[in-house]
Amino acid sequence: MTTPAESSGESGAPREGTPRPRRSMKTATSVLVADKVADWTIRIGGLGVIAAVFGIMLFLTLVVVPLFTGASVEGAGTSANSAVAGRPLMDVIDEYKTVSVSIDETGAVHAFHIRTGRPLEVPAFELGLKEAGGKTLTAFARTLSGRDIAFGFSDGTLRLATIKVGGAVINTSDVPADLARLTDEDATDGKSIYTTVSGDQTRRISIEIAMGIEQQVAAPGVAIVAADYRLGGAAERPTISFVTVDANGVGRLSRSESKTNMMTGAATTTMTASELPGLPPGVRVRNVLMTDKADQVYVVDAGGVAYRYDTRAFDAPVLAETIGLLEGDVTIGAIGFLIGEQSLVVAGSDGSVGVYFRLQDGATRNTDGYVMTRAHALIPHAAPVVAMDASQRGKMFVTADAAGEIWLRHSTSEQVLLKLKPETGTNGAAPAYRAVALAPRENGVLAVAADGKVFAWDISAPHPETTLGTIFGKVWYEGYPAPGFTWQSSSGTDAFEPKFSLVPLIFGTLKATVYSLLFAIPIAIGAAIYTSEFIHPRIRAVIKPTMELMASLPSVVLGFIAALILAPIVETWIAAIVFAFVVIPAGLFFSAYLWQLLPAPLAQRYGGLAKFAAIFAVLAVFGAAAFLAAPAFEAAFFAGDFKSWANGDVGSSVPFTALVLVPFAYLAVFLGTKGFVTRRLGAILRGEDRTTAGLADFASWVVMLLAAAAISTAVASLLVAIGADPRGGVVDTYVQRNTLVVGFAMGFAVIPIIYTIAEDALNTVPEHLRAASLACGATPWQTAVRVIVPTAMSGIFSAIMVGMGRAVGETMIVVMAAGNTPLMEWNIFNGLRALSANIAVELPEAVRDSTLYRMLFLAALTLFVVTFVVNTLAEIVRQRFRKRTAQL
Amino acid sequence: MTSTMPDTTAAAPTPKSPGRRTDLRSRGEPALWGLGGALAIGVTMILGFLALVLANGIATFIPKPITVVTEIGGTVTAGEPFRSEVFKPTPDVIAALSPEWQARIDAADGFARRTLYRVGNFDLYGEDFRWIPDYAVATFAQPKSLMFVERMEWGPFVGTVKGFKLDGADQIFTGLDDPKFAKIHDESRARAREIRTIERSRISDINHTLESARLELRKIEMQSGRSSSAYAAAEAGLTSRSTALQREYDTLAAEVQKLREANATNTLTLADIGGREKLIEFSALVRLYPANDMNFVQKLRVYFLRWGEFLTGEPREANTEGGVFPAIFGTAAMTLLMVIVVAPFGVITALYLREYAKQGRLVSFVRISVNNLAGVPSIVYGVFGLGFFAYVLGGSIDALFYPERLPNPTFGTGGLLWSALTLALLTVPVVIVATEEALAAVPRSMREGSLASGASKWQTIRYIVLPRAMPGIMTGVILAMARGAGEVAPLMLVGVVKLAPELPIDGIFPFVHLERSFMHLGFHIFDVGFQSRNAEAGKPMVFVTTVLLIGLVTIINATAIIMRNRLKKRFAGSQF
Repeated sequence: MTTPAESSGESGAPREGTPRPRRSMKTATSVLVADKVADWTIRIGGLGVIAAVFGIMLFLTLVVVPLFTGASVEGAGTSANSAVAGRPLMDVIDEYKTVSVSIDETGAVHAFHIRTGRPLEVPAFELGLKEAGGKTLTAFARTLSGRDIAFGFSDGTLRLATIKVGGAVINTSDVPADLARLTDEDATDGKSIYTTVSGDQTRRISIEIAMGIEQQVAAPGVAIVAADYRLGGAAERPTISFVTVDANGVGRLSRSESKTNMMTGAATTTMTASELPGLPPGVRVRNVLMTDKADQVYVVDAGGVAYRYDTRAFDAPVLAETIGLLEGDVTIGAIGFLIGEQSLVVAGSDGSVGVYFRLQDGATRNTDGYVMTRAHALIPHAAPVVAMDASQRGKMFVTADAAGEIWLRHSTSEQVLLKLKPETGTNGAAPAYRAVALAPRENGVLAVAADGKVFAWDISAPHPETTLGTIFGKVWYEGYPAPGFTWQSSSGTDAFEPKFSLVPLIFGTLKATVYSLLFAIPIAIGAAIYTSEFIHPRIRAVIKPTMELMASLPSVVLGFIAALILAPIVETWIAAIVFAFVVIPAGLFFSAYLWQLLPAPLAQRYGGLAKFAAIFAVLAVFGAAAFLAAPAFEAAFFAGDFKSWANGDVGSSVPFTALVLVPFAYLAVFLGTKGFVTRRLGAILRGEDRTTAGLADFASWVVMLLAAAAISTAVASLLVAIGADPRGGVVDTYVQRNTLVVGFAMGFAVIPIIYTIAEDALNTVPEHLRAASLACGATPWQTAVRVIVPTAMSGIFSAIMVGMGRAVGETMIVVMAAGNTPLMEWNIFNGLRALSANIAVELPEAVRDSTLYRMLFLAALTLFVVTFVVNTLAEIVRQRFRKRTAQL
Repeated sequence: MTSTMPDTTAAAPTPKSPGRRTDLRSRGEPALWGLGGALAIGVTMILGFLALVLANGIATFIPKPITVVTEIGGTVTAGEPFRSEVFKPTPDVIAALSPEWQARIDAADGFARRTLYRVGNFDLYGEDFRWIPDYAVATFAQPKSLMFVERMEWGPFVGTVKGFKLDGADQIFTGLDDPKFAKIHDESRARAREIRTIERSRISDINHTLESARLELRKIEMQSGRSSSAYAAAEAGLTSRSTALQREYDTLAAEVQKLREANATNTLTLADIGGREKLIEFSALVRLYPANDMNFVQKLRVYFLRWGEFLTGEPREANTEGGVFPAIFGTAAMTLLMVIVVAPFGVITALYLREYAKQGRLVSFVRISVNNLAGVPSIVYGVFGLGFFAYVLGGSIDALFYPERLPNPTFGTGGLLWSALTLALLTVPVVIVATEEALAAVPRSMREGSLASGASKWQTIRYIVLPRAMPGIMTGVILAMARGAGEVAPLMLVGVVKLAPELPIDGIFPFVHLERSFMHLGFHIFDVGFQSRNAEAGKPMVFVTTVLLIGLVTIINATAIIMRNRLKKRFAGSQF
């Protein structure tokens, strides 16, 4: 320690009060300045640190909040420029939301710059409609991206076409000179838009169209009323699959496959064609839809009846299912696939919007075993739905109704993100939408009305898939048999929908916490009571730091040992370890009864360190016994093979259940006989010498244990008979990285914390209480159980709470040893995925401000709040405990 | 309490004849044994754990004998016995065995023993380890000619030395004590080191200069545009400079090439147990020793050489071999930086809470909260560190000071500074709590005495309070260090990497690179144990690293505990 005199030498300020004889009574300015500076530094610094610490919670919250804010309009209503002349068939927006391209019923293509409404020159599709008495356009089909389209005609012909709205990055020096400037970034030469990206790079957005040859699909003169087609196959052998329905109600399915011979370079095209069976005559087909892989075809009539065909065998399609998608007299307003083309959005003339997908159903009579199910009934519009468009990125889509409202929705989360309505003035009629389009990056909505008016909105909907309901409630994901809790944040395919339910992770955390505390609490509290009350202070001075040493083991080390060393050993010796949980406590009690046989003077003399050493010896002996007897135990209880038994393949659950019930049964027997037998026996024994009494006590223990075993066996048989089998619940299929291992490893982290705090609490119980109790003749055991522990109870409780806080947040052990499978089962022999481990595993890969990123922040916030609350509770309890002991 | 008191007195036995009191129930012997058993289990757990780690860690570097196993089928394997375990052979395997073995396995309840041999020669076999069950073994042998060869690549080689070449000329291998052999080895290794120095420092200097010149140019471009005169001048400067640097680079590359060629003429021909030959350069040879022909001193020498390499060397073979010096350095640098931040801020906050703030409900609420922050999971701090420090703060720093490097982040990603700040935030409650306790332990009378003598508040704190609280504060800071050194989870998010090419402190201006990511002992354990090619091959390394990390944390903790105890003793006298 430095004395004031020494330390003064270091400070720059001259020391006050040194000149003794004539002392100035005025305080030197430097002292005042130093004092003020220190005052402010400490105040600002202190408050700053406190603010920073609380800022953590604020910051986490700020990151999380956008998950729940839905969508917003960034800039509304441009245009109203009648750029589109005819009745539009569809409208697409390019990737960068620069141009809108629509096709009208004459085949004309209208493109314009969205921000300014400036039209672009684009060649029209030459559909050959102009000749007098010629064919008319009767059907139109498009893929989700709008890139591939098909026209069907009244003469039974079909033409495939592509329209490419593409962006290419070019050097600024290559940009043509005389461009008309549209905005600060955009300029045009009348055909393309040039956008300045950065100093030397420019993006050119241009529109290219191409048209395939005319194909006679239906009988000549019979109009095609609906068509759809999909491109597939590998690049070197592309396939085109298409389906058409003609005016006679005949559905045709064709696939052409082009093969290029590697040697000759000659291309051969093979056609497979077949007719869809079972369409009722005279059906008024409104739409026909084909899935991405062309394995399903939906023929939908105007009244909403869908004929679902299984087209996996293209030459022999099967009508798998006929289902009414709408109720009553409602007709279809709009219908279309969501991305992945498994979910079908059906919007009705009554404003209803439903999402269907097919599910495997064992009970169905449908030939392919699937049933169309309306998984989501979304909030209905007030007016008939007239148009829809689906996102190319996720399960978001827009629906437009006759009243002029456009709703931005998300299928899985079932929420309406945004309701858009153009300003039409007080008496303006609602626009009659013909087509709506959602920008590819989900950042804009554009609608084309029948009169050619265009409405555009810039929107922002960064996290449409999350609501409080989807994060904490059950969600019905596409293809899942029922709503459930799922965490699955990434996958290989584009159509994959991330599933963000925190529930499996919270469950995982809870599971790890519960099992580790089940293991840790008895050991920690027992050890604390023994340390505080029953061993010599000098031994305690060694034991306590040893236990505390455990707390300083880095958790990465615990995780490594648990996962790579312990897990394989536990797997090999699982039966022995399960057995040890029984044998060691039983052995300790057995030895205690043996110890009671010792004559009183001997027991007195060796009651200290020797007894504690004996306990270690007992532990070793019975531990070894458990390992030696494990095969016999496995044979008796688990039909010789623990893993198959746990799996439910062999053996009966009765012996194991009985074993688990024995402690409870013993407790019941003990309490049940306490009043009668114990007192009577005690009265008799009191007169005998110690050895005799010990023998009698031993005998009574054995009898009680046998009784307990009998009772537990009976209860177990009953339980198993009525179907309460632990297998399939807490015991099930064995996995190497499991909760048992995690619980054990976590014990190293949790035991020392609970132990230290509980021991401190027991120690702070005032000494006079202990002395008074002993002086009244109570034994140390009675003193501990009836005086010390009740007094310290709140301290022990707070120790458990703090230990729980540690278990909840422990990361490395669960990352390494828990297997990280987001399951929701209590099986102790399976793994788990905890919140903390999930953050550690996924956050390094998460893109900043993505939904996953924010979800992981939410996970962190959850951990923060839970541990903060638990610890605060513990702290409050502990402070009350301190106050109370101070009063005693 | 009050309710239990009468009960206690009532239950206390009233002995009629004191000598014959045998109320066993009241002694609670079985329950006592249960409690004692709990303590014994706890103590066994920690001691067993430490014993396991220490035994494995300390034994790792001991040179082990190489055993040649001839199997019944005729297969010959040479390797270090690594570990053995019992397993259950499948029934069809047992059915194919001799009746004698069948009986033995049957007697052992269907278990047989097998041994894992570290066979090395990954480049020849495609595996490092091989299990051999006891029932498959025909004979064991330990021939003295077998060498254990540690190489720079492909892991160890187990086999014999066939011969070697000195400057391209064949030599006959007479033994390791051949002075020529040692000389080539030393020279080749020296050349290899020189190549490394040239590549790592001089060529990297050139690259660094070139890169900073390019960034400078970009900065000028962003400030004054492409068409400005400043840009043209800078561009010309860069061109001339890069030609000069290119020339310098070519010279160095030629130098390296010459050294490489020299090394290529000094080779060693090895043969595995099956006779397959393998040619390696002396420069790629770390050390070799005749595993079955060594005395104690030689073994000790290899043992300590290996420790030396471990502590000072750089990792190789995806961190499963070589040393951990960068990880030690990174851990130390990060922990020190953390202490530099956490100590003043923790002490200032504690001073504010204890000496300046008005004691009341608010302060006690703040105190509880600060206390509880110590219990908030470390991963939460990591998330905050990534989101706030790296992305928000770092992103702003990048936008302000390093715009020429964007979109490549400089401070806008994990790094040393952010790791240290994150851990500082994590450990600041520890320091605050410890300092507050220490401040509270300074008797009020001393403060009052000082103030009464006319000292100002700051003078009182500076000369009276702080010196007396110093041991307590130090204890807190040391405990914070121990916690910080052992944490891994938050660091995984804010800047630790499995292999950092450069240390955070080096000879390139500004010498301390706070933005660099770094290696860490704890993460090294996680990475080698879980993400290496062969977890088995990495295990010894992990054990040694574990011993190192536990040793480090324990030493730091022990210092704190000893300090605390001395402090307690010092104050104990005054309290009673």
